[in-house]
Amino acid sequence: MTITRVSPGVVKVERHALTLGERTYLPQVIGGMFRTLKHLLKNLFNIKGLPTISYPEVKRVYSERFRGRHILTSREDGTTRCVACYMCSTACPAECITIEAGEDQRTREKFPVRYDIDLLRCVFCGYCVDACPEDAIYMTRDYEMAIDTRARAVVGLRDLVVPPNFPVAPMGWRPYYGSIEKHGTAGGTGVGQPLREAPYEDQDPPNPDVYRGA
Amino acid sequence: MSTLTKFSAIPYTGPAPTNRQPYIPVEAERMDARGQEISARIARPAVVQETGQDLPTFLVEKDAIIDVLRALHDDAELQFTMPLDLFGADYPNREKRFDVVYQLYSVKNNERVRLKVRVAEDESVPTSTGVFQGYDWYEREVWDMYGIVFDGHPNLRRILTHEMFQGHALRKDYDPAQRWLLTDRGVSTITPKIDPRYVQEESESDFERVTLNLGPSHPATHGTLRIVVTLDGETIVGAEQEIGYLHRCFEKMSETHTYQQVIPYTDRLNYCSAVINNVGYCMTVEKMLGITAPERAQHVRLMLSEFYRISDHIVCIGTNLVDMGALTNFWWLFQPREEIISLAETCSGARLLPSYLRVGGLAVDVPSTFLAHSQHLVRTLPKFIDDVEALVMKNRIFRDRVDGVGVISREDAINYGFTGPCLRATGVPFDVRKANPYLGYETYDWDVPVAEGGDTYARFLVRFEEMRQSLRILQQAIDRGLPPGPVMVDNPYVALPPKEKVYNEMESLIYHFKLIMHGIQPPVGEAYFQVEGGNGEVGFYIVSDGTKHPYRVRVRPPCFPIFEAFGKMIIGQTIPDAIAALGSLNIIAGELDH
Repeated sequence: MTITRVSPGVVKVERHALTLGERTYLPQVIGGMFRTLKHLLKNLFNIKGLPTISYPEVKRVYSERFRGRHILTSREDGTTRCVACYMCSTACPAECITIEAGEDQRTREKFPVRYDIDLLRCVFCGYCVDACPEDAIYMTRDYEMAIDTRARAVVGLRDLVVPPNFPVAPMGWRPYYGSIEKHGTAGGTGVGQPLREAPYEDQDPPNPDVYRGA
Repeated sequence: MSTLTKFSAIPYTGPAPTNRQPYIPVEAERMDARGQEISARIARPAVVQETGQDLPTFLVEKDAIIDVLRALHDDAELQFTMPLDLFGADYPNREKRFDVVYQLYSVKNNERVRLKVRVAEDESVPTSTGVFQGYDWYEREVWDMYGIVFDGHPNLRRILTHEMFQGHALRKDYDPAQRWLLTDRGVSTITPKIDPRYVQEESESDFERVTLNLGPSHPATHGTLRIVVTLDGETIVGAEQEIGYLHRCFEKMSETHTYQQVIPYTDRLNYCSAVINNVGYCMTVEKMLGITAPERAQHVRLMLSEFYRISDHIVCIGTNLVDMGALTNFWWLFQPREEIISLAETCSGARLLPSYLRVGGLAVDVPSTFLAHSQHLVRTLPKFIDDVEALVMKNRIFRDRVDGVGVISREDAINYGFTGPCLRATGVPFDVRKANPYLGYETYDWDVPVAEGGDTYARFLVRFEEMRQSLRILQQAIDRGLPPGPVMVDNPYVALPPKEKVYNEMESLIYHFKLIMHGIQPPVGEAYFQVEGGNGEVGFYIVSDGTKHPYRVRVRPPCFPIFEAFGKMIIGQTIPDAIAALGSLNIIAGELDH
């Protein structure tokens, strides 16, 4: 493209008048064919370098900030960390969280008797994680949430709560990243477990293998 | 003053909002002085200046509005020739409850002006379509949303809602819990008006004229748009566009959400360049709050905006070429787009709709590899752009499809309110990043590309060059490096405290709780701020009443006037030409229908 300067800060892209050779059309078509052929051959002899992946045999690894399906974490004694304070449901722009609070007769602690997330309403913005003052709701890297009925989109405590020793590896969007010991307060979400090597965070980015699962 | 609660139309009677100070913009004095000059120049008794606003603002009597608009348009020195926006606002407690707000732009002086007409419920406003053609659809929208009648409007029917919708949705006393069902019997038939140039020919024509529906689910519309065309043989002699199929009540929803909660909604306006919408919205609220995001956050905002602008143009060019049968380019271009989206995913955790920005900064800091990853992208991107350019731009088949197709003249483009690449393709070098720099765009060395002709080919030229200019900006931004420091303002009334403090300190927990429950509460007033989106000027006009919910959020969607002019652009051409022209306009239904 020919570029001419009109005034400071403004350039004009000139319209290209087709030359006779270009008008005869064949050279351009052959040139275009060569270009596509080059790509074809390059890809043919470098199958590994293809930008596509064979899902679902190979799965894409997303970053450790990925905002996938939620989980509710547990304390070391196995109780849910959630104290049913309604902060997440207040912060939720899509109004997809429904909580009913109950009271533990023994400890006088509040806890959720019902905690439903409607995954069809959820926009996966991560506001619930940001709002939680108890480190109780995290998002995972799980993005495969296909369901066959609408009713199954509503997930409750049974689907969301994970045991205290739940590994950190599949975690996505959460209050902080990197070494958990450094921050000290990760509670029941796998203290001391090494983080899985996260894509991008620890590797040089131009690594094409990042796009492919192990 | 009553506001609606989140779920119903019952007036909110909760605790009084804490922030009731009026909002005084920084530029108020300068704008007031300029407003006096303007009002002295047009010298109409019906114009009263409203001071203390972020734009020169005038209250105009409703009967004088056409006269004033024409005076501003025709004045040799002012030349407010571009209609930027027209929208309503409802204040039910006032005697004249509605504001009809006109915002004009002067390409010559690079300035904006705001006119307000106050009307009561039973009053009407004369139509301004005689002065600005682009106000046709805007007036329909105001009528649809507020029920304000525009006298003399040629086609005053609903635009965003459907024919069987009752009431006017953006009125404060409209109950949003109502549901209106559109049945077969409510669907009206659209008969496009035949263009005057083709009216006489009908008897001479050998063909019976056929009316054809393109869309709303047509593969070439890339979104739910409907174009009804009347064909004489293969020639389009009349066209009318119908929109509203993707109307998701953005403006109404914003009124019942807190300022932070609106951010995921802005993502979904122009979903091809979501970050730019975030930037526009967040900076408008920041303007009202009188805060600026930290340098590091601004730097990241700029870089992601430019990446998303490239991605937006990639989608436009790629899909446009698919419509013309050049599928290869689509695959080639979508690879860098995938990588741009992956970059956003490493920052924000989501690919297409990152919701990465917050009022006051960013949600979290960028990963440590952000710059290296960006550098890798900036290094590899030109190859893809060059490949596609070499493949099509000198190809005769392509050129025959785009040369002189979908032409819009410079005067028409301005009169409709075109912005962005479609305006620059007619030779007008208007770019918000140059005209009203934000995020430090003025400190970068880059150029606004323009082209001549205003046809599909010119739009291609502009988009290709704009991607290269964005890469230039990005390279400079990478060379400068990320400024150190936080990514969020240190203000407990805006930013959530760090999580460790929330877990361990009482005060932080209280601030956290207050901010989630009571939200950000900007001072009382109104503000407009604009950024350059993928398709043109994305502007947000926000009215705050001091509560946690915005009183009114208006988004200026750049696609709206562009698609409005589309019917005119394709008259006299064929359906394949119309498809090629439509693709090059990059109409994003989410933004169009807000």
